[in-house]
Amino acid sequence: MKKNQSTKVRLSGSDLSLKIVAVVVTVISILLILFPFALTISNAMKDNNKIYDMPPKLLPDPANSLAVTVDYTGFDGTEEELIAQLQDDMVSTMFGVYTVLTRESIFEVKFYGTMDGNTIFYSRAHQSQLQLEKDYGIYEGTVLKKQTLLYKDRAQRAAQIIGYEYNPAGLSDKAAPQEMEETASTLVNSVFEKKFTLHGTVAACATQKNNSLLLESFAHYMKLPNYMYGRNETVAKYGFMTFVFNTVIVIGFAIISQVLLCSLCGFVISRLLSPRAGKFALLFFLGAQMIPFASIMLPQLIMYKNMGAYNNYTALLLPFLYPYGFYVYLFKGFFDKIPSSYFEAARLDGASNAYLYSRICMPLSKSIIALIALQTFLGNWNDFFWAWMVTERQDLWTLNVALYNISNNVSTKQNALMGISIVTILPVLLICVAFSKQLKASIMSSGVKG
Amino acid sequence: MQNPVRLNSKKDHGYFLRQKIAPWLFLLLPIIFTLWLKYYPILKAAYISLFDYDPNNQPGTFVGLKNYLDMFHTQFYWEAWHNTFVFLALQILMAFFIPIIQALFLNELRKMKNTVSTLYLLPALIPTTINVIVWRWIWHPDYGVANQIVQFFGGEPQLWLSDPSLVKFCIIFPGIIGGGISVLLYLSAIQNVSPDIIESASLDGCTGWKRIWYIVLPNIRYIIFIQLIIAVSTAMQMLDAPYLFAAGGPSGASTTQGIYIYNAFNKDFNYGRGSAASIILMIIVMIMTMIQMHFENAEKE
Repeated sequence: MKKNQSTKVRLSGSDLSLKIVAVVVTVISILLILFPFALTISNAMKDNNKIYDMPPKLLPDPANSLAVTVDYTGFDGTEEELIAQLQDDMVSTMFGVYTVLTRESIFEVKFYGTMDGNTIFYSRAHQSQLQLEKDYGIYEGTVLKKQTLLYKDRAQRAAQIIGYEYNPAGLSDKAAPQEMEETASTLVNSVFEKKFTLHGTVAACATQKNNSLLLESFAHYMKLPNYMYGRNETVAKYGFMTFVFNTVIVIGFAIISQVLLCSLCGFVISRLLSPRAGKFALLFFLGAQMIPFASIMLPQLIMYKNMGAYNNYTALLLPFLYPYGFYVYLFKGFFDKIPSSYFEAARLDGASNAYLYSRICMPLSKSIIALIALQTFLGNWNDFFWAWMVTERQDLWTLNVALYNISNNVSTKQNALMGISIVTILPVLLICVAFSKQLKASIMSSGVKG
Repeated sequence: MQNPVRLNSKKDHGYFLRQKIAPWLFLLLPIIFTLWLKYYPILKAAYISLFDYDPNNQPGTFVGLKNYLDMFHTQFYWEAWHNTFVFLALQILMAFFIPIIQALFLNELRKMKNTVSTLYLLPALIPTTINVIVWRWIWHPDYGVANQIVQFFGGEPQLWLSDPSLVKFCIIFPGIIGGGISVLLYLSAIQNVSPDIIESASLDGCTGWKRIWYIVLPNIRYIIFIQLIIAVSTAMQMLDAPYLFAAGGPSGASTTQGIYIYNAFNKDFNYGRGSAASIILMIIVMIMTMIQMHFENAEKE
């Protein structure tokens, strides 16, 4: 109500130049805020070669899907030999395309094996999947060419990981392309010119635009931790979700403990202590808050290490077990404003302190609880240094620590890094936008005090 | 006669217990944890700073104030202070005022106020790590957007984060997009300016820019001041951003006090010197906060 009124009054005396400048500044600000997002999303969708193009393009190139049909008609041998050959050819095709055709934005390779006009073998791989196998998987540290690709049972293992369908009677739902497209065939021929060879013969190939492949990249970026930290069992199993889980644990614990502790302290200081004692207690908590983190981080680390709180959840959670002075101050200010008649009436009925706290104060202070939960969330969502100092085990990393370590790994590809960043913040952004009304209300109602 | 008296004294006893002791019992656990987790480490730092500390054979030999004096004689320590204050100045000059301007102009908009304020909230949700990942790519000397823009305007390509004279600028610059919680705080303060004042001022011809300068800004002075105190003490303790961007480099150009302390412990293994720097940093931060508080109180009166 108040808001509307003031707007109306201002409008009557509005000044045109001020209005124009206001619009211009706001538009520029929004563009500046959105620019890093746009850059990150578009880089995450580019493939690893296009990302280094100069000048950088804002929009990623459209994604292509390449389908190759290899014919085995006239093959004589056992079924095992046939499967081995199919697997060899599938791996050669996929990694051949990945290594040779770097400029064509081929995000997907489909491999069809046919025999007597029947499709007997089908497999597909996304470019990011091949990139992961090349960087951290089976072909980690190898130069991709025919000999290394098919060395011993590597091709079989790679085929198992990428996945394929095989049915000698024919795969009815997988229709292999029948025609030789001109552009596609020159591309495929260039792959099998020197470095890579096939057992069968290329019968047909086709390209197709499919921009949904750009989005599929994100699913593979999320598997990056599984590959990168595969030696750690938990990370190998749950991957990216390990870090999400740790972050949720830390932030959830911080929010619960801060809300409980600070409201309790605020209640005691505001309602039970004499003003002088209350002031003293408040100063005690505020003073603790004023000590810079940089000043105590190492004595704290030494202390925690001596207690055995290092490289485990205790070390991550213990720092939230004391009430933050500023939040105590906010709670105290809020409780001070509750009319004392509430408390007197309850006391006359014989209510205990615990009752006053849990049944009168807490239900009234939803808005301040929301604010403190939000502040704690933001503070911890940003927190990096402490979690980084006390964790060595990868399954203890929070998202921030994991992202820092992934970004500092030399073999991390820039597009994967950007993709994993987007995956990290997107849920939070969406939640924020969904609850923006409540968030803003809680910030603005309690914010005036500072 | 005796019975009621006895009853009364019993009651008094219970009353005393409930009124005087019980509150402190509630506070006991929080106080112990605060002492243990916050006050003890800083006292420990003060203690360690007086020793030539040996972690395996604690606490080592007592050296008095030698750690402090040695530290004051190294140039690197003063460079760290210099860096810290340059960061502080850049932060205040480049980043601090942006949210105020955004909030002032946001308040002038007639439409889209809600959507725009939601958008302003977004930068608060981006953790420093991700900000660093994105901006390191923007500042990349070969493939970054920054050099593209500089070259578009005919400038020389720069090394940005690898250039000691530019690294501080590059670390603070991401803050220029503004936004965050503070925009909403300012906005709510602006909206709380009494409409009566604005109306009577507009009758006197105080509209448009004049209104912002003479009416709105003086009325939100208080919250600006509070935010300034927070911004100064945060900038003094700056640790994450310079570390993540450049790990204190190149050649120490982004080593703040926080990173200096961290390096003293983790690189030089000089616990005494690190603790000495910790204590000095805490004292300086507290002094600066108190000076600002003092000005604030003086202004209120």
